[in-house]
Amino acid sequence: MRKSSSSSSSQGDRERHQGDRERHQGGSGDVFEQPHTSHGRQESRTRRDSGNPAEEAAGTTPMARPMDFKIYVDQACKAAEEFVNIYYETMDKRRQALTRLYLDKATLVWNGNVVTGLEALTKFFDVLPSSEFQVNMLDCQPVHEQATQAQATVLVVTSGTVKFDGNRQHYFNQNFLLTAQSTADNIVWKIASDCFRFQDWESS
Amino acid sequence: MHTTVWRNRKPLEREMGENTQDGTPGSWFRVTFHFMQNGARFFVQEASTASALMDVSYKIRDEESRKIPVFVSPSAVPYSVRDKLKPEEMEQLKLTLSKRFDVSQQALDLQRLRLDPDLVGYDIDIFLNRRSCMAATLQVIEKYFPELLSLNLSSNKLYQLDGLSDIIQMAPTVKILNLSKNELTSVWELSKMQGLKLEELWLQGNPLCDTFPDQSTYVRAIRECFPKLLRLDGQELPSPVTVDVDTPYIVKLCKGSYFGSDELKSLVLQFLKQYYLIHDYGDRQVLAGAYHEEACFSLMIPFHPEDPAPSSLCKYFKDSRNMKKLKDPYLRVQLLKHTKRVIVHTLCVLPKTQHAFSSFVVDTWFQTETMLCFSVSGLFKAVEGSSQGCVRAFTRTFIATPARYASLCIVNDELFVRDADPSETQSVFSIPLPTPTSSSMHPSPSSSRTSCRHPPPHLR
Repeated sequence: MRKSSSSSSSQGDRERHQGDRERHQGGSGDVFEQPHTSHGRQESRTRRDSGNPAEEAAGTTPMARPMDFKIYVDQACKAAEEFVNIYYETMDKRRQALTRLYLDKATLVWNGNVVTGLEALTKFFDVLPSSEFQVNMLDCQPVHEQATQAQATVLVVTSGTVKFDGNRQHYFNQNFLLTAQSTADNIVWKIASDCFRFQDWESS
Repeated sequence: MHTTVWRNRKPLEREMGENTQDGTPGSWFRVTFHFMQNGARFFVQEASTASALMDVSYKIRDEESRKIPVFVSPSAVPYSVRDKLKPEEMEQLKLTLSKRFDVSQQALDLQRLRLDPDLVGYDIDIFLNRRSCMAATLQVIEKYFPELLSLNLSSNKLYQLDGLSDIIQMAPTVKILNLSKNELTSVWELSKMQGLKLEELWLQGNPLCDTFPDQSTYVRAIRECFPKLLRLDGQELPSPVTVDVDTPYIVKLCKGSYFGSDELKSLVLQFLKQYYLIHDYGDRQVLAGAYHEEACFSLMIPFHPEDPAPSSLCKYFKDSRNMKKLKDPYLRVQLLKHTKRVIVHTLCVLPKTQHAFSSFVVDTWFQTETMLCFSVSGLFKAVEGSSQGCVRAFTRTFIATPARYASLCIVNDELFVRDADPSETQSVFSIPLPTPTSSSMHPSPSSSRTSCRHPPPHLR
């Protein structure tokens, strides 16, 4: 989702990756079918084209970041925070609505068990005991466009505690891949994939 | 001193007990705190304590703002204290119970205990309806039969189970309980033992069995107290309609690594092996070859508000990007390491480590033509500095694109590090770590430089 910087070396990179992408592309069954465009993207493209040679020249100082990267990070943070609030609240209190947050072909890998597609997910969450989640940690990153075929995507990482049916507390780590889905008038973030694991799954 | 707390109107007894407890030092209630109709009654030892309690009469209120009266009257030593078994009686009880204990079955048969010649002969009255007697019995069980599986309390004229409710703490291993031929009239008495993980229960010969219109209502009511019950009065119970949904069920579901396919398994494992060999034993600058030019990396460590002392993870602290704590948008951008140059610089500064490959659990959780997401969890050891030898647990999530020669190019990398629990670290580090070989471990500086844009040969 990020645009390459305008320096000559990464320009070359981009062309090469472009070639790579064409070679690897062609799977119509991918979750990321529709390249996503939005105003934000157009704006940042313009910015990029205006050039920011400072980035490559600036050596090791992390200050020198292209503006568009900052925009993507802000967007990712906003999406991640909103999503996490909604996700765990829905999980705990309105479980039956949870699958609305997933894409039709979404995948969940839950402590090593794979669950794919809305129907299977609905069944899975139906059987899963009632939960009380507490999220203590949250991190997120915008996923590079080369991986996502330009579909705006955010990696969300959470960690915290959960009690199922009021039973013993488990620590967990969870990863989500969120993709932006354009609807008539706004963007909705949906889960393309979800990976959940107890920290103590073996010793439990 | 004998204290009674009264309420004027219909009280919910439980709530009142809790309310009263809130405002008072906990130990007052240890002595025969119990509910009587609309009130709760307990004993306090000191007159000054009783007088202090009397002073708050009609001053404290319940949750509905009703004033709570407190009555105090002098009294003799309560039964539970007075009837406490003397040491020699305890000894005789212990001997009696030992004779009735079957070690091979971990079963204790206390049928008609009060008529046991070993007790009657010594003029010891053990009426299990008395709290003191039940408490003494449970103490013996806790101390001498800590693995008790089966307890037979039939024919003891039990009409209440207040005393037996302590079994939850004192004999939690009991799975089979026989209460048949007693005088229990209500399921309410059984609910006092709720939490005991009973698999088999005998109740026949109690008046409560006749209070149900049919067998299925009876079974349902008992199962509400003991959801794991498999047999009732000797009959196998039908499996519950709902899935057994407690922790063991959840845990039974847990499996090891998920790769999706053998191809992915070998790709990901090969990648991880190479990555951590360089990370732990080589020059981390070389890892640049594994990252995309514009890759992202961030890490987070747990933050314990209750433990403000500097964490042993302090070397990671300055880079920790936990957005639950970190709200400043500028810092959020700053701590997201962007471009491979910045990432490699960050990795080089992080503490030296040894990862235990044998502890790795990998989930390959998303794959398209252009990307692969996988997470690896496991343990590593700090190998230098003040925290040398400390074992940490980590979860690291990589998003990678296909690279040349069937390798991977990392575009996103997120690392979670925490202190490992001692139970996790057992035996893991007794297994020798893979010994680096010269060819893969110490690539010449030139090879790392020339393969900057793509993974170096050993990552392919």
